This record gives sequence, C-alpha cells and structure tokens, in this order.
Amino acid sequence: MEKAKQILRSFFSGLCNKIASFFKGIPQKLRSKLAAAKEIITQGNGNVGASMCIMGLGQLLYRQWAKGTLYVLLQAAFIIYFVMRGGADFFGLFTLGQVKGDAWYGIKGDNSIIMMLMGILSVIMIIFYIAVYITNIKDVYRTQCAEDTLKRPPSFTSELKDLLDKKFYKTALVLPIIGVCVFSILPIVFMILIAFTNYGGDIVPPELVDWVGFENFGSILSLGQFASTFFRILGWNLLWAVLSTAINYFAGLALALLLNKKCVKGKAFWRAFPILAYAIPGFITLLGFKFMFSYGGPINFYIQEGGGKAIGFLAVNSKWAARFIGLGVNAWISIPSTMLLATGILSNINTDLYEAARVDGASAWKQFIKITLPYVVFATTPVLITQFINNFNNFGVFYFLRDSVRSEGYFLANNTDLLINWLYRMSIDNNYYSIGAAISLIIFIITSIISLVVYVLSPAYRQEETFR
Amino acid sequence: MSSAKSAAAKAKTKRILNIVITYCILLIVAFIFFFPCLWLILASFSKSGSIYTFDGFFPTEYSVASFNQLFTDTVMYNYPKWFLNTLFIAVMSCILGTLLTILTAYVMSRFRFKSRKAMIKTTLVLGMFPSFMGTIAVYLLMTQFNLINQQWGLILIYSGTAPMGYLTQKGFFDTIPYSIDEAARIDGASNFTIFIKFILPLSKPILVFTALTSFAWPWSDFILPKMLLIDQDLYTVAVGLMSLDETQFSRFAAGSIIIAIPIIVLYFCLVKYMINGMSAGAVKE
Repeated sequence: MEKAKQILRSFFSGLCNKIASFFKGIPQKLRSKLAAAKEIITQGNGNVGASMCIMGLGQLLYRQWAKGTLYVLLQAAFIIYFVMRGGADFFGLFTLGQVKGDAWYGIKGDNSIIMMLMGILSVIMIIFYIAVYITNIKDVYRTQCAEDTLKRPPSFTSELKDLLDKKFYKTALVLPIIGVCVFSILPIVFMILIAFTNYGGDIVPPELVDWVGFENFGSILSLGQFASTFFRILGWNLLWAVLSTAINYFAGLALALLLNKKCVKGKAFWRAFPILAYAIPGFITLLGFKFMFSYGGPINFYIQEGGGKAIGFLAVNSKWAARFIGLGVNAWISIPSTMLLATGILSNINTDLYEAARVDGASAWKQFIKITLPYVVFATTPVLITQFINNFNNFGVFYFLRDSVRSEGYFLANNTDLLINWLYRMSIDNNYYSIGAAISLIIFIITSIISLVVYVLSPAYRQEETFR
Repeated sequence: MSSAKSAAAKAKTKRILNIVITYCILLIVAFIFFFPCLWLILASFSKSGSIYTFDGFFPTEYSVASFNQLFTDTVMYNYPKWFLNTLFIAVMSCILGTLLTILTAYVMSRFRFKSRKAMIKTTLVLGMFPSFMGTIAVYLLMTQFNLINQQWGLILIYSGTAPMGYLTQKGFFDTIPYSIDEAARIDGASNFTIFIKFILPLSKPILVFTALTSFAWPWSDFILPKMLLIDQDLYTVAVGLMSLDETQFSRFAAGSIIIAIPIIVLYFCLVKYMINGMSAGAVKE
C-alpha cells in the first residue's frame, strides 16, 4: 500500500512537472512560429504576397500551373462553401437559432440541433482551410528561396511522386483522418456540447435549444430523481466492472494454463469448445440465455418438475439472482477471448527460463509463481485496462437480459442496469438528450481516471520506467 | 530401497491423480461451453417451434420445419434477404476498414512526423469515451447526409471508425525489422513500393486478424443497424432475429445457427492468426 502511494505520488508530481513544462514551452514555440511568419512576411516577394491574397496565385506567377490551379480551385471551393452555408453554420453554433418555427404562420424556424452539428462541421472545415492556406504560403516561399539560390524548384510531378515516398504518410492518412473526424470526433464533440445545453424532454426542435452551462451535471449529482438513481447505478457499475474483469481474467488465464499442461492430449480438441463460444455472435448467446432463464425456459421446467415454483430469475423482484446470471453469462462470453490471448502470450515465453529453473530444482508451483505469472501479468496489463473499460461499459448483457424491467426507486432504470444502459434508455428511448450526454461525460471521467491509475500501478509501466 | 520404491509409487499416483483431475476439469469446461450451443441446435430442429412445449432442454419432436420456414415463409420475416444484407455490409466494411486500419498502423509505426505524438494521444483519449456516446450525433449526421435507412451509411460508419483501433496492428508492424526498409530503399524503392511489395507480404497474420475482426463486428452488431435501418427489407440478421416474436424460439434458433456457422468456420480455420494477433497487440501496446 505504501509502495502504491509512493508510485502514485511520484507519478502525479511527474505529471504536474510535465504539464508545467508544456505550458512553459508554449511562449517559446509561439516565438519561433512568429519568427518564421515574420521571416516570410518581410523576406517574401510579390509572388508570396499574391499567394497570401489568393491561394495559388503566387504559384501561378511562378508558372507552376498544375499546383497553382489546384490551390485556386480549393480557394474557390472554400469561398463557395463559406458563403453558401459555412459562415451561417459557424455563427449558428453560438446562437443555436433565433427564429422559432411556427407551422401555423408558415414560419420555417431554426433547428438548433442541426445548427450545432453543422456548426461543428464548419469549424472543422475552417481548420482544414487554414491548414491548407499555411502550406500554400510556405510552399510559395520555398519556391522563392529556391529561385533566389538559382536552384530549380521541384517540379509538380516530382512532388506528386514524393507523396508516395517521403510524404507517403500524408497520402495514407487522408482517408483515415476524414473518417475518424466525421464519425468519431465530430459526434463526440457534439455530445460534449449537448451536455451543456437544455436539449431534451420538451425542448426538442422546433423548440429552440439554449446553452445552460453546468446545470445538467448539477441535476445528476445533487438533485432528486436523477441523483439517487445515478449513485445507485454507479455503485453497482463499479462492482460489476471489478468483479467481471477479475472473473474473466483469472478464469481465462487458468483455462489457458490448464490447456497448456503437458499431460493434456488433443489440445486443439479441448480448445475448440471455448472458441465455439467465442465465435457465436453475442446477441445470439444473450438472447439464448434469456430464453434459458425465462419463466417458461428449461431451468424453470426442471424446478417445477422437482416440485418447486417457477422462479423469475430476470423478473422485477430478483436483484442478486439477475446480477449473478449477468456475471455468469458475461464470463461465458468473455473467458474464451482471454484464454486465446493468454495462450498466445504463453507460447512466447522463453523456454530456457524453465530449463534453468528445473536445473536449480524449482518445483512446478514455484516455476509458475516465479516465471509464468509475472510474465503473463506484465504482458497483459494493457489488455486488462481495456477489458475493465469494456466491462464498465458493457451494454449488451443487461440490455438483452432485462431491458424492459423497471425497478422501484430507480428513474427509468432497474437494479441491474449499468450507466451505459441507463444513458441509452434516457437519450435514445426517452429524449433526455442533455442528461444522457452529461452522464456519458461522467462515465468518461471515471473510466479515464481509473485506467490511468491502474496503468501507473501496473508492472508494465513501472518496469518501463526502471529499464529506460 | 523400499522407501525409494514407495516414493516412486507415490509420485506415480500423484501424477495419475493430476491427470485425472485435469481431464475432469476439461470435461466440465467443455460441457459448460458446449451445452448451450447444443441446446440451441436441438431447439432449431424442434417440430412445434415454441419453447413452451419443450421437455426441459429438449424438444419433444424433431423436424427441419424451422429451417424450411426460414427460407420459404418470407412475407413477415424475410430471412434470406436479411442474410444477404448482413453479408454485403460485413464484406464491404471488412474491406474498407481493413485497408484504413492497416494504412494507419503502418504509418504510425514507420513514419516520424510532427503531429504523430498528438495523434496517438488523441486516439487514446477518444477511446476512453463510451463507445456509443456519439450515437445520437451519428444518427442526426446520417439524416443530414441522407444516409438513414441505407446500407452504405452503416458501411461508412463501420469503416470510418475502424482506424481508431490501429494499436494492435501498429504493435505488429513495430516488430518487423527496419533493415528490410533500409535494404529496399538502397535499391531505390519508394515508401509506397516498400509498403506494397515488402511489408504487406510479411503482414499476412495481422491482415487476417484485422479482416476477421472487422468482418465479425458488423456481422454481429445490433445497435447501429437497429437505429439506422427502418425498412424490414433492409434489416440485418441481428435486427431481424430480435424482431421475431417470442413464441418462435426454434425459428430464432435456426436463424442463429445459420448466421453463426460462417463466423465459427472462419474462427476455427484462422485460430492461429487470432492468437498471434491478440498477443501481438498485447505485448507491444
């Protein structure tokens, strides 16, 4: 415990130092950037100036036709976009609409949510444009320097060729970056912003949405219906994440070690069963288990056969039964993947170590404790963190097993719901968008803090520090 | 002498006991993993179709009626169409997603450029957000782009977000020695040529792993299709099976088995690549 404290303390002081030095570095970076800009402005000739006014003009004046035309076209495209909708979109991001729609008078009002989304998109577009603009100026200045020293500037074809060689990374990353920007970053930014508005409930378009600051967080953490539900779910969610990660990890590891034993013949055959479970799509497994534990399902059939009364394992009044079933089902689904992972890692262990240990007369148990376990734990810590986060946000299990159940004392939730299930039901099924967004921000904060701490305490991180 | 003998005998019984216990555990494990699957298979061959007529885990009468029904009775539940939809979406997202992921991972492993560190950190932070936090935004975005109720919308989302999971692949590329690149560069090969001609052939294991995982995700996902597909005719199998009535258990079972078989076959054929791929990402992450 003392050790852990010490590590954490040293980590956080290190973190603070890093942050401090980062901010201390900013003025210097800025100064060097400014100096570079100043150099271009003072040293640049008329052509550079032309490019500053109209992107690509300088290149055209240097008779770089293809490149110049390309820049000019980009400039034109951006201006058209900005005039047609980009500019309005950008300002819409701040106002979120001023005209309320009224079907009676035929007024087509502003749709705040679309305005926000398109506003964020316009910000991304503007950033892209500025980046292109800066490369344009740098490019024409480079040409000028080359001309001044009587060198030939690189031709357009050679520059194109460079895009497949030295600058291949630019070509390769264009599509991935666009994809991630549109489908990951834009939605996340959107949801972060939504958390600070009053979007949801009665306030959905055509009503106008407004910025409300931290109000949503206040109502989750301190007021009435949301707060009590939130803290109940949070407690169970943390317990669930820890328990299920521990069960899956150790059981998967144990299974891999079992299959790795020398005396086991036909490893491929025994391994086939967990792989079968792993390969079946999750929704099938979950729906199947739901049937298995339902009132008319086989488990209850045997209970009734034995003279008992049918038990509603997943019904309203079962709390811990449903939770344990959830843990079991999740283990059934997740243990095989841990097993496969551990198998891969076990096959990478250096066998010389065991040879040496045997010569020294170490028992099998001792070999396991001293060689196998540290190695596997060291290699799997990053995966452990990922698994913890995945379990914390495990949507499927309770969505399939108990989505329709509502428990007393919970607002739009039941006693097995995880935060992610609650968030889904609040925002997708019941329109509490802003509250849902605020919950997802809180989930983000919790998971990132936990994984940071676990990462710092993990042997992988410590060893990296000591060996480097 | 006799004590040595008894010690040897003791060691032998201990070994036998060890083996017996090991196999007992293995049998139990195999049973736990296999029995639910067996139950589903048996259920799909049930004659009556409803779970309420089962004799415990086992149907009272067997027939292939459910499978027949699945492919012939397509008015309400058009299973063949769902299957083709799923196949199309999964194959397209697999191709595009694998391409984008591999490119990203290769670049992040081999090139050193200004914004590289920032990019790696950004993806790590983005990964911490709850997976479908942006679902509502994606939904609105799709309505704006007119991609609601269209399969290409799903394909774009699956392949567009795929590069976020490039770390495993990067770990693999990190293990390919740089000397290969350098030797090729001396021969005058460009980075693009090196990637296509030298790195890709060496990366078969990770290519297979990436393709498999990016195929399996759309194949069994239910959140996005459920939200974005409205017409019954466009459903994927996951959404379709979830829309089945509760009384049609054996139809559900039959549909599940057919959708599970391709992916099970793939996993069994490629299990070696799975193991290698998973541990490549783990050690190097």
